[in-house]
Amino acid sequence: MSKAHDIAVTTHGVDISFGTGETKVTALQQTEFTARRGELIMLVGPSGCGKTTLLSVIAGTLKPDSGTVEVFGQRLDKMNQAELTAFRRKHLGFVFQSFNLIPTLSVVENVMVPLLIQGISNDEARRRSIAILEKVGLKGREDGKPNALSGGQQQRVAIARALVHEPPLLICDEPTSALDKDTGAQIMEMVRELSRSPDRCVVVVTHDFRIFRFADRIAEMEDGRISRVVDDPLSITQQNF
Amino acid sequence: MFRLALNMLFGDRAKLAMLLCGLAFSALLMAQQTSVFFGIMSWTYTPVVNIRAHVWVSDPMVEQANDAKPMRDTELGRVRSVDGVAWAAPLHTSFLQARMVDGNFKLITLVGIDADTFAGAPAQLTQGRIEDLRLPNTVIVDEWGAQLMGKSVKGPDGKMQTVALKPGDVFEINDIEARIVGICKVRRAFTGGPFVYTTYDRAKTYTLGARRTLSFMLAEPAPGITPSELCERIERETGLKAWTSDTVIWDWSDRSLARNTFWWFWKNTGIPFSFGTAVALGLFVGIAISGQTFYSFVLENLKYFAAIKAMGASMRVLAGMLIIQAVTAGLIGFGLGAGMAQAIGRVMIEKGMPPFVMFPQILIATLVLTMGISIVSAIIGIVKVSRVDAATVFRG
Repeated sequence: MSKAHDIAVTTHGVDISFGTGETKVTALQQTEFTARRGELIMLVGPSGCGKTTLLSVIAGTLKPDSGTVEVFGQRLDKMNQAELTAFRRKHLGFVFQSFNLIPTLSVVENVMVPLLIQGISNDEARRRSIAILEKVGLKGREDGKPNALSGGQQQRVAIARALVHEPPLLICDEPTSALDKDTGAQIMEMVRELSRSPDRCVVVVTHDFRIFRFADRIAEMEDGRISRVVDDPLSITQQNF
Repeated sequence: MFRLALNMLFGDRAKLAMLLCGLAFSALLMAQQTSVFFGIMSWTYTPVVNIRAHVWVSDPMVEQANDAKPMRDTELGRVRSVDGVAWAAPLHTSFLQARMVDGNFKLITLVGIDADTFAGAPAQLTQGRIEDLRLPNTVIVDEWGAQLMGKSVKGPDGKMQTVALKPGDVFEINDIEARIVGICKVRRAFTGGPFVYTTYDRAKTYTLGARRTLSFMLAEPAPGITPSELCERIERETGLKAWTSDTVIWDWSDRSLARNTFWWFWKNTGIPFSFGTAVALGLFVGIAISGQTFYSFVLENLKYFAAIKAMGASMRVLAGMLIIQAVTAGLIGFGLGAGMAQAIGRVMIEKGMPPFVMFPQILIATLVLTMGISIVSAIIGIVKVSRVDAATVFRG
């Protein structure tokens, strides 16, 4: 049983549906989910089971129809849009499936975005961005354009961007789906290594069973609910997933 | 963030070029057409510019400088008797047909000036002397008229070419000889015909002794009296209409003959409408091209704006980014368009056709309208970005 102060994310009785009448689709129903500080938890399950919807709720980009969402002690379900925006700015880092690096900006400028959004000066943002790019092994590539990098390198830039402002919650949406096996493993290694902190929680949505081994726990979803939570990721294989 | 917004804009060179083309074309059309319009309109009060008198006196029914309602010569004495008039001189203007040596007829504007004072004479003679107008049957023709009324001769290459008239050449006005003694440089008039200057008395001869030939009187205020004050005195004492010669059409003085002429043409001709249509077209084309291009720029970047939104950028920051992008493109587009309009204007001024007057107000108005186009484009983009759901970033 987790102690209250260990809890990073918790959802209770979350319902979300889209559309009305015959087109109504229930994405989450009475979803209960908990992620602890200092852990890397993966959300897995078949397509359409509600993983991305739950991720959006945790990230504060989607408000539940009912239920409570608490992230680092703050009730997201009670916040208005402006408060949610401010919350994401300070507390969240994102790694997207398709990287979402702005192609017309340089690598370092892409990484600077979360810092500049927070109002940090250009010089300071650049300094911190260059430092983290060095950590992800992209020293010397700062001023190039993202399109000149390989998929793995682009995802490293995305990781640098997600962590540059040191958010307590890192949200990763299918971070390895666009990468080959080895590169995917390297990326997950990097996510684990860089995000490892007693106060940081990493939530990863993935279909990629090859990276399950990087998780501390795995929450399986089915039909909009968490069907089971596994403490030993290695016990889940491709066959039983 | 605003620096990054600019980098996003400049990073997409193809889109930027398209956007700038739309804005520059729009600014060019607006600035150039408006300048030509004001150039043409400035020709309407050419007599005021060419003749350079401080005070003009006319029949009370006259509304503008090209609308001469001839008065009796005795009116000149009445004006001269008004306290505060240093001197007053007669002026005749009329449109007549001139017959060239080769038998062709050309429309001219005959200007008869006082032979004693030469008040109203052209400021710059490129050939001849003004005093020679005192010789019998003599005229001074403007440069453009000398070319227009020139003789057609066969050139060394066998092709026909026009040789401009020069001092010594002769033509006829109402079958009376007019011998050229000088060529002058004056501004062209809206009414079309070249200026032919002669003395006031000889103008009467050329008009075949019309009963009333006094079109205007030119007056000079005595020292210490302003033109406006003199106008008031003349109107009060003679019942005639008196005008100042201010040529600033934005000066809302009712006494300015130039201004009244400008606005008379504005109200009574279709010129403002036709040029206004071209300017409006420029505006609409600008809005259409720039709005569409900027919108497609926003659409292409929508997923990045959504990502930035998800990362915690407020709508104010995103709107600021879009406004900075649109305004920067607008400023560059305006610079390019106004620069091209200036360059075209220079060529026009050198050729003298069509007239081109680019007031600072035209540039300011073009800048304001171009910025308006940019802001409209930005608003379209802001609406689109405001509607994008930050959660879309998780949908691949």
